[in-house]
Amino acid sequence: MGKKLPNPKWITIYGFLFPGIVIYLFIVMIPLALSIHFSFYKWSGGLSKDFIGLHNYSQLIRDAKFWFSFRNNMIVTVLSIIGQLGIAFVLAVILQAKWVKFREFHRTVLFLPVVLPAVVVGFIWNLIYSQDYGILNGVLKGLHLQSWIRPWLDDPKIVIYSVTVPIVWQWIGLYLIIFMASIQSIPAEVYEGAEIDGATGFKKVVYITLPMMYDTLRVAIMLCISGNMKIFDNIFVMTGGGPGNSSTVMAQYAYNTSFGKFQLGYGSAISIGMIILSLGLILLSRRLMGGRTVES
Amino acid sequence: MNRKGAIASVKAVSNVLLAAFSVVSIFPILWVLYSSLKNQQEFSVNILSLPSSLHFDNYVKAFWDGELYRYLGNSAFVSVISVGLTILIGFVTGYFLSRFSFKGRNVLYAMFLFGMLVPVYGLLVPLFIEYRNLHLLDHRLFLVLPEVTFALPLVIFLIESFIRSVPIEMEEAAYVDGANLASTLFRIVFPMCRPVLSTCMIISFLNVWNEFPFALVLINSQDLKTIPVGLTNFVGQYTINYPQLMAGINVSIVPVIVVYLCLYKRIIQGMVAGAVKG
Repeated sequence: MGKKLPNPKWITIYGFLFPGIVIYLFIVMIPLALSIHFSFYKWSGGLSKDFIGLHNYSQLIRDAKFWFSFRNNMIVTVLSIIGQLGIAFVLAVILQAKWVKFREFHRTVLFLPVVLPAVVVGFIWNLIYSQDYGILNGVLKGLHLQSWIRPWLDDPKIVIYSVTVPIVWQWIGLYLIIFMASIQSIPAEVYEGAEIDGATGFKKVVYITLPMMYDTLRVAIMLCISGNMKIFDNIFVMTGGGPGNSSTVMAQYAYNTSFGKFQLGYGSAISIGMIILSLGLILLSRRLMGGRTVES
Repeated sequence: MNRKGAIASVKAVSNVLLAAFSVVSIFPILWVLYSSLKNQQEFSVNILSLPSSLHFDNYVKAFWDGELYRYLGNSAFVSVISVGLTILIGFVTGYFLSRFSFKGRNVLYAMFLFGMLVPVYGLLVPLFIEYRNLHLLDHRLFLVLPEVTFALPLVIFLIESFIRSVPIEMEEAAYVDGANLASTLFRIVFPMCRPVLSTCMIISFLNVWNEFPFALVLINSQDLKTIPVGLTNFVGQYTINYPQLMAGINVSIVPVIVVYLCLYKRIIQGMVAGAVKG
């Protein structure tokens, strides 16, 4: 061989990278810059727009509806971290045992909802929650639990929880396969050593599996946060953010403000606020959890 | 209880728990599948029973009267072009990021990583404004651009890490033989990457096919809507007739389910690798 592959000229490299960079600038960077620009204006999409400085942002900070929608994002996120990650972890541990039957079948079935369009998941759960023809009320009737029947998607007090269930349902499979891959990568000797020391099933999970999976858990929590900061599709088709604004999340609020009321200036400010809050939370969680890795 | 008994019951409980969750995952989908073959009357008598006779006319109606065929066509068009572009751009970008060191490499890398973290729905309104100012709304080809952009980061990272695991000798040999960069890239490296490229194709297809908010906002005319958006119109028309509605839902997810059942191993592998990378 002898000759090593030389680095091409700078211009050649950037020539090849050009399409990726251009499309990225056009779809991510320029819109971001534009919306920062428009967030300083009172603008409803027409020709006239008034420069109002930081007014949109000061309004945003005092906008109870915006913070309410952020609160909804947080509720969904916390419930998802507990529900998706918790259930996925338990199932992953079980699926790893040698005596489990139909492992491949379970994995395939549990992952299936992940590939469905979120819109379709919303519709399916609309049918499940439906007053007269829904599975949920049907099952409750069958169990003689009529008193538990609720207008699942019409009661402002519970609607945010009702729309969270499909989100948890859809994404358990993703974390399941991530956790399974992580558990598989734990070397068998670690468990063997523990067994010699007398550790049994449950103890092995708590003292070996969990700590060995710490990095994976961290990634999973961050995925969960970033995924739930942008939820929109299923809530959009299930309730449209209603009744009132009781199930409105940030993306829905930006959508309503921009395309319902056509306040594009303020809609831009909401979008920027949403991006800052999401990135802030992701960085915060990375910092909080990153610290502990060093110790362990 | 003795130790053996305890272990046996843990096993039993675990298997039952697993089965319960699997049923909860699959049953709603199966319910929608088989109920779509009932007629409205039969469905309202018993929502859970299997259909006594098969009413395929729900599908005919969804497909033609509900105009789902048009939305399917639009989705196919957008998906094919988006996936093609994603693979091409992702492959070239991933290759250069993994093989060469150059000025700005780390900045680019960070930029694409940022693309994985930035909550894309925050770009919904900004992108709409940009498209409106440039008169790009309502063009299927321009809907492709955001789809490609949001599929790119994962694809780039998967390809980049795959290429790093491939020995460089083949490319060096081609260089010694006088092959230029482009032909090395597409004649030698591209075929070697076939496994990771097919994973990327499947995952980006699923993402594009399922994508809703940008298709909702950037396309207005009925004739150009993709299936997730078209389906919301369809559902709006048939809110009372459940089996009809379910047939519509099924038409829209059949491609996804078929792809999944044929290729789930690939999909699962790719998603694990992508998630851990992020």
